[in-house]
Amino acid sequence: MANRMIPRLLQAPAIALLLVWMIVPLSMTIFFSLIRYVLNSLNRPEWTTPSLSNWRGLGNYQYVLENDDFWIAIVNSLMIVCSILVLTVILGLGIAMLINRSFPGRGIVRVLLISPFFVMPAVNAVLWINMLLDPVLGLQGIAIGAMNSMVDGLRDFPVLGHFFSFWPQLEPISFRAAQTSAYAVIMMVTWQWTPFAVLIFMTSLQSEDESQKEAAILDGASAWSRFINLTVPHLARPITIVVMIQSIFHLSLYAEIEIVSRGNGNTNLPYLIGEFASNNIGAASATGIFAVILANIVAIFLLRMIGKSLMD
Amino acid sequence: MAAVTDRSKLGHLIWPALAWAVAIVFFFPIFWMVFTSFKTDADAVKPEHLLFFTPTLENYVNMAQNYDYWRFATNSVITSVFATLISLIVGIPAAYAMAFDPSAKTKDILVWMLSTKMLPAAAVLYPMTFLTKNFLGIYDTHFLVILVLCLINLPIVIWMLFTYFKEIPKEIIEAGKMDGVTTWGEIKDILIPLAWGGIASTALLTFIFCWNEAYWTVRLTTIDAATLSKLIEGNRAPEGLFFGRLSAVSTAAVAPIIVLGWFCQKQLVQGLTFGAVK
Repeated sequence: MANRMIPRLLQAPAIALLLVWMIVPLSMTIFFSLIRYVLNSLNRPEWTTPSLSNWRGLGNYQYVLENDDFWIAIVNSLMIVCSILVLTVILGLGIAMLINRSFPGRGIVRVLLISPFFVMPAVNAVLWINMLLDPVLGLQGIAIGAMNSMVDGLRDFPVLGHFFSFWPQLEPISFRAAQTSAYAVIMMVTWQWTPFAVLIFMTSLQSEDESQKEAAILDGASAWSRFINLTVPHLARPITIVVMIQSIFHLSLYAEIEIVSRGNGNTNLPYLIGEFASNNIGAASATGIFAVILANIVAIFLLRMIGKSLMD
Repeated sequence: MAAVTDRSKLGHLIWPALAWAVAIVFFFPIFWMVFTSFKTDADAVKPEHLLFFTPTLENYVNMAQNYDYWRFATNSVITSVFATLISLIVGIPAAYAMAFDPSAKTKDILVWMLSTKMLPAAAVLYPMTFLTKNFLGIYDTHFLVILVLCLINLPIVIWMLFTYFKEIPKEIIEAGKMDGVTTWGEIKDILIPLAWGGIASTALLTFIFCWNEAYWTVRLTTIDAATLSKLIEGNRAPEGLFFGRLSAVSTAAVAPIIVLGWFCQKQLVQGLTFGAVK
């Protein structure tokens, strides 16, 4: 304990690397956010080089705050992350309970269930939006087309056919539209991350105190009350882990948004930054700073929640 | 217990059946991707060939000939392997010091490290491109991709290793100290053999995250260091006119990692819980 030199030296490379990784780009972003800086400008060519003489102060921040897209992006970011969290936790709990018993082929079921987690996000998005959800060529379009023609066929039946004439013609949903693309993103990310929740909950369920459960059964506790009073408290910590890790990954969701909602106005914060950055670096940087602030608020909140229990 | 078993006679059939159904639903998109990859582009969009068609390897042959799959795949392997190795080399000593010689600041350092992971990449993309292209001249090199993959995964690597190392009784490490073993000796001869399982899980998970990374690898490369993410990026045909081709490319990009994941499932589950769930 007398010598603090060695532990410090051992940590130094990691801390130094992360410090540089954080500070250098961040300070550049702060600088760019305070000046006028665009990539192309015919009228004001001087704005295309980053320099202090193009100082704009907080003008970029004001520009971003007054931009409707910014608020849409914030609401969307939070909506997407929260929906994914709620869905993965509920589905994860249900599925983990379902496979937390032995049955034939349990090993294979586990292997099948875990697979989506390994799929590249870009492949995930391309696969879902084209082959599964496309309203014409994808399975969705084909399935709805098949159902419509089946109902059409049934209408020709005598007597019974009359009943089917009330059956409405189904319309396939286009998930590339602004109103629906967020749902497609939520669907595909939930598909990918539910296995993660299942695995963590399953690991935790296996360590549940069985004798406690049996005692509760003897006392006549219903299955529901056993679940609420014994299983859920036992799962509190794994649920926190699932929420924390997923928040880290989903706040910076990009590939899925880019592939699904490209150009339809339904963006999240990282994607909006990308859109600004195609020309207006100043505005992109200001939005970036807002995104950093949002991430930090979430981080502080989450780490308070988890930090203590992880150190025990 | 008798009442429970009696009542769940029906449950013996229903619950496993439901579990199988859920597993099949979750696996279906992957199955469908592999299935479609054996159709021609024309067959892939014809409802009459939805299930019955003449399987062909045309898409894979085409991919190998025209898209240079092996170059992208080699780049993915090189960058993921080196990024994983380097983050372990940097991470193991740091996690060791934090777990066995913690100071008052250790917790804050850990929390700060994880918080760097939450910084939106898009916010620093432009400065990164600017720096690497104009000043450092390392844009589109393996070195840059490895460095960035290493940096974005380092917080998770350290956090995971830390939770594993904490499980090792301090006495074992301290006994080594008494015997006059050097720090390097402690890490090499005591820590690494004891925490081998945890280190392996960490390495696997890092490798998967590196392989699947698609923000930086797409934006900081053009040709020389482009990975499989970049191949997907270049091939996502608009409005699905090339489902067969797209499926083949996607299958080839995810197959190695899915197979690896299947083999190492047990290890991964441990790693994923961040040591916080037992």
